[in-house]
Amino acid sequence: MKDVLKSFIFAELIYHEDPATFGDEDNLLDAGLDSMGIMRLIMFAEKEFGVTLPDTEIEPDNVGSLKSLESWIRRSGYTG
Amino acid sequence: MLLTPFLHQCQQQPDSLALQEQDRRVSYRQLLQRAQTIAAALQAKGIQPGQPVAIHIDRGIDAASALFGVLLAGACYVPLDLKNPIARLSFIIADAQVCVVIGSGSAPHWLDSDLWLDIASCNEATPATVEIPAESLAAILYTSGSTGQPRGVAISHRTIAAFTTWASDLLDLTPADRIASSAPLFFDLSTFDLYSVLGAGASLHFIPAGLTMAPARLSAWLSEQAISGWYTVPSLLAFLTYKGNLAQTPLASLRFLIFAGEVFPTPALIDLAASLPQTALYNFFGPTETNVCCYWPVERDRLIAEQTIPIGQPAAGCELQIDAESGELWVHGPTLASGYWRDGRVQSFMNADGWYATGDRASIEQNEYRFHGRLGRMLKSSGYRVEPAEIEAIVNAIPGVKACAVIGIDDPTAGQRPALAMVLEPEMTIGEIRKVLSRQLPAYMQPSRYLVLDELPRLANEKLDFQQLKNLFETQL
Repeated sequence: MKDVLKSFIFAELIYHEDPATFGDEDNLLDAGLDSMGIMRLIMFAEKEFGVTLPDTEIEPDNVGSLKSLESWIRRSGYTG
Repeated sequence: MLLTPFLHQCQQQPDSLALQEQDRRVSYRQLLQRAQTIAAALQAKGIQPGQPVAIHIDRGIDAASALFGVLLAGACYVPLDLKNPIARLSFIIADAQVCVVIGSGSAPHWLDSDLWLDIASCNEATPATVEIPAESLAAILYTSGSTGQPRGVAISHRTIAAFTTWASDLLDLTPADRIASSAPLFFDLSTFDLYSVLGAGASLHFIPAGLTMAPARLSAWLSEQAISGWYTVPSLLAFLTYKGNLAQTPLASLRFLIFAGEVFPTPALIDLAASLPQTALYNFFGPTETNVCCYWPVERDRLIAEQTIPIGQPAAGCELQIDAESGELWVHGPTLASGYWRDGRVQSFMNADGWYATGDRASIEQNEYRFHGRLGRMLKSSGYRVEPAEIEAIVNAIPGVKACAVIGIDDPTAGQRPALAMVLEPEMTIGEIRKVLSRQLPAYMQPSRYLVLDELPRLANEKLDFQQLKNLFETQL
């Protein structure tokens, strides 16, 4: 899942970082992921992984890194 | 004179709440005392009226106190974007010729420590009173410059006051108001927060930083704090509309919302208006050079999803004109900045009659102005101004680059993003270029696409063919 998220983020939302060197725990918000980007990312993840990511759980702690995104999506019911 | 309404409130209601940041609450009396202490420390450091002082503190109580302190000393403030790379911050500090950098704690390693003033080290003191002429500079706000470097827009006390008193009257601000603040000090939106709000005796509540990324907690905070007004950017309001759980969080106290800095997509604005039926909405418009020159109180029944909204009527006593041939919007009036800050003095950007050519394309229909994008090369990326020339200047300085050109390409997240086309020596790589740019430019200025060409496309007259460049980027996608 992380690879799917990663390729979406670095193709569509953050362009100037090199995905090859961007770590799973590196901060996406510091890298330029903003509110508009988070909205598109959530739309993408809900469709791609068939989960509902509740509005009340949109938090820097859940969207701040690839690792936290992955665990948020898994907690929301993705079992793939 | 910009501070006159604020100082009046300090006398009228010294114990009323002025600023709140998390659990910290500061009354008018305390804010004034803090500002006076900082003003006295600046004077002790030899600051003269009119001299620029940089603010190296993120938005909040400390930054606001520092800023009022600078103004009480008769000096002018230069707010820094702490997210900028060191190279850019150093440039701005040198270009502005700042005499002091106000910060908190110890000086950053890259800064001459003689310039540093730690606010924690200032002891309570009363500054000498300074006469401040209305035309003296209050602030220098740096934006991306078409000259190839960051450029400071120099704004006088009179100019800021022209906007802030107009806005205060328009919104009918009173001491009962509780206004939210999210604008960084280097954006002109912050002038409303500081001078309109505190000049009216209302209280200003800094939105905790993490909340702008946690929309449901943000709406809960707006509700709990009984916020009555907020001046912010469309992207944040759209985030709140779609992810802010507004259906479960009635914002009963919210009288008004103002937005500026980007075009608000009409479908999102329609949804926002439906979520907040009691809240008056305002579209403010104007480049940093004019602060706000045009505004539209949103008329809900006129919102049509397929149509962009108008920018409305002239604001704050400004006069507007549209050049018949080019469609360019020209502005004349009291909110125009004094000029650009160059070599330690103000260089006017107006023509002989005091008019400023905005570079924006506009039209007028039934006495209502509409915005149709930029005429020049400047682009707007996530609400930030980006001048292609500034990126090109850095790329051209890299050995191994033969030529380059930056254009804006449309982007669903940021509105527009810069894209960089280059002609390179054989040994140079895109990876090297990226590395240099990441050290020199903030995230919003980083190119989203790179293209290496054998030569840049040119028109018959040898000028760059920007349309052809755009086509090349589009076929690359």
